[in-house]
Amino acid sequence: MTPRVVRPGILVVSTLIACHRDQPRQADPSGAALSLAAAPQDTAFPGTTAPIHRARPIRPGVPPALLRAVETSSGPGYDRVVFEFASDSVPGYHVAYMTAPVRRCGSGNPVALAGAGRLVVRFEPARAHDERGNPSPAERERATGLPALKDIKLVCDFEGQVEWALGVAAAAPYRVSETTAPARLVVDIRRRP
Amino acid sequence: MTAWPKPALVVLVAACHGAPVEPCPSPRAAGIAAQQAAPVARPSPFDSVFAAAGAEFHVPPALLAGVGWAETRWQMVQGAEEFPGRPAAFGVMALRGAALERGASLAGVTPEEARRDAVANIRAAAAVLDAYASEAGAARERIEQWSAVIARYGEIGIPAAQAAYLGQVDRGVALAGGRPGLAVGSAAQAACPSPDTAALDYPQAIWRPSPNFDQRPTDATGALHMVIIHTCESNYAGCWSWLVNSVSQASAHYVVDEDGAEVSQLVRERDRAWHIAALYDCTLNRRHDCWRNDVQSNDFTVGIEHAGFASQASFPAAQLDRSAALVCDVTRDRGIPRDWQHIVGHGQLQPANRTDPGPNWPWIAYLHRVQAWCGEVIVDDSAQFNDAAVATVSVPATWTATDTTPDYYGGGYRWAPTQPAATDAAVFSFLVTAAGSRTLDARWTSGTNRSPQAKYAVITSAGVTLATVAVDQRIGGGSWHALGTWTLPAGWNRVALLRRDASGAVVVADAVRVRE
Repeated sequence: MTPRVVRPGILVVSTLIACHRDQPRQADPSGAALSLAAAPQDTAFPGTTAPIHRARPIRPGVPPALLRAVETSSGPGYDRVVFEFASDSVPGYHVAYMTAPVRRCGSGNPVALAGAGRLVVRFEPARAHDERGNPSPAERERATGLPALKDIKLVCDFEGQVEWALGVAAAAPYRVSETTAPARLVVDIRRRP
Repeated sequence: MTAWPKPALVVLVAACHGAPVEPCPSPRAAGIAAQQAAPVARPSPFDSVFAAAGAEFHVPPALLAGVGWAETRWQMVQGAEEFPGRPAAFGVMALRGAALERGASLAGVTPEEARRDAVANIRAAAAVLDAYASEAGAARERIEQWSAVIARYGEIGIPAAQAAYLGQVDRGVALAGGRPGLAVGSAAQAACPSPDTAALDYPQAIWRPSPNFDQRPTDATGALHMVIIHTCESNYAGCWSWLVNSVSQASAHYVVDEDGAEVSQLVRERDRAWHIAALYDCTLNRRHDCWRNDVQSNDFTVGIEHAGFASQASFPAAQLDRSAALVCDVTRDRGIPRDWQHIVGHGQLQPANRTDPGPNWPWIAYLHRVQAWCGEVIVDDSAQFNDAAVATVSVPATWTATDTTPDYYGGGYRWAPTQPAATDAAVFSFLVTAAGSRTLDARWTSGTNRSPQAKYAVITSAGVTLATVAVDQRIGGGSWHALGTWTLPAGWNRVALLRRDASGAVVVADAVRVRE
């Protein structure tokens, strides 16, 4: 029907290969282009260091929003993470700096992150795997090495919640913006001058 | 790679193929469970369409109904593409992608009709199954010959998930009045998941081992002490299949399906599953076991997931009952008390970011089911915690309600000072349906001001006092203590906690337990 139709068997195999990749991949330049198009340019936004919370109704029987892609990039004066969902709109989210250690939501085990600050981005209802158990995206962590954004790790994909922990150079002001079609949440972390 | 010792391999293979004790139960047990749990056929809204399309395309109508049930529970769905490469599914039969196009063409309808119109959708699905069956050379009169056809229709590559899908279709076939047999036929294809026959703590479970676990601490903090109730926020197959994937970094010991027909065990109880992130905080749990504060909650808990959502308005009775049977099994084997401090919701212990199993999980009735499976009735000092059909309480207003000392049963307890002339006992009554032997236990909370000889009178439905048992309530709080075993007549028997004694102490009325 569409050129993107892939037999699930093949999909599983390719996913498994992706899972076993040990080295985190650097930001894809095309991803940077994609994310820069998603929000207005701004080199000196005020931002906030306080939590930002936006709840969405959770309806039983409606599948959680599927995370399709995560892209990291560097913009003028800030570093950016874009979370793209396969749904019509972004699910509910909660973004906050954490002082306590970041823990994996299943095991409760602490997660080490680069940088001095830990910004956590949680989505609900959401999932980062399809109904066949294929992770989406396959890449679950990335050492970005950007000036403000050091690394990102998926720390939760369980019971309708997806949580990413962002290791940042310092707990600098950040902002979020949403787009629809495609549904994206854009998180910008201001760089130190 | 290390070489397997040859004998182990031989044993594994032999066990997979017809050993007397079924050590490799997944697909076979799934099929059997489906048959046992769905003996009563029920009509679908599309029975006449299944019959007509089945006749037209030489596909058993019950099989069409089975696929429709497995895919959509007989509802028209309008899909959305949820994953690149996984086209959206449409209609009762969840047709998608190339199969939808092909079926529409074979059935002489447009793809749009096959998406939106129930008759066109079912006919297109029947046409695709017809084509697949011809290509597979299936003998259509034998249900097991359809396994490969249905598996192809389901487009699932993972063998264990494929077997589970066939089990679901089997269940739908049985609901439609047909004879299931798809999953049984596929049993030989599925890999035997584990040679470890001792893995199953709950023998009725299907063993689907998850790699997502580690060891519990070896000190007191690692002793198994609580059961955590979860909801998956997804359906059953999506739940367990994700939790057995190492990528998920999450797991539970058990997953209970929507209908109560099937339970999966993913992690052995002795191992530490990964289902709750929170560090323990006793203020969230009636101040129970504060010495565990800041212990990682996975260390000492068993996690049970339930297919479904925390936002559900209600939970299926059969799912709750199966879950209760499982919790009875876990708590009996591990010596865990069956009360609200030890059988706890995920959201209760992790309120920062979890609510499951949600506000509509029927906690009180659920605990009563767990207790019933374990053959016990508990009478609390507060009526709201009692199953009024079998347990009632009468505590005079002279007794004071409080929850000051933790580890009570229910929501608190009552206390009253001893008095030489008091006649206002706290009375715990329970229904015995058929005369027989019962063991009675009492529970209280301890303190230095408690009576060293609190007196419990055991009184039959005929009004005969069988015994008066004195206990030292200064010690032993928070757990059950046997008063004795008596033969009780049918009817409402009772245990009365007396106040009458020399002044200077208090007696605590918390709960009475009746065991068969």
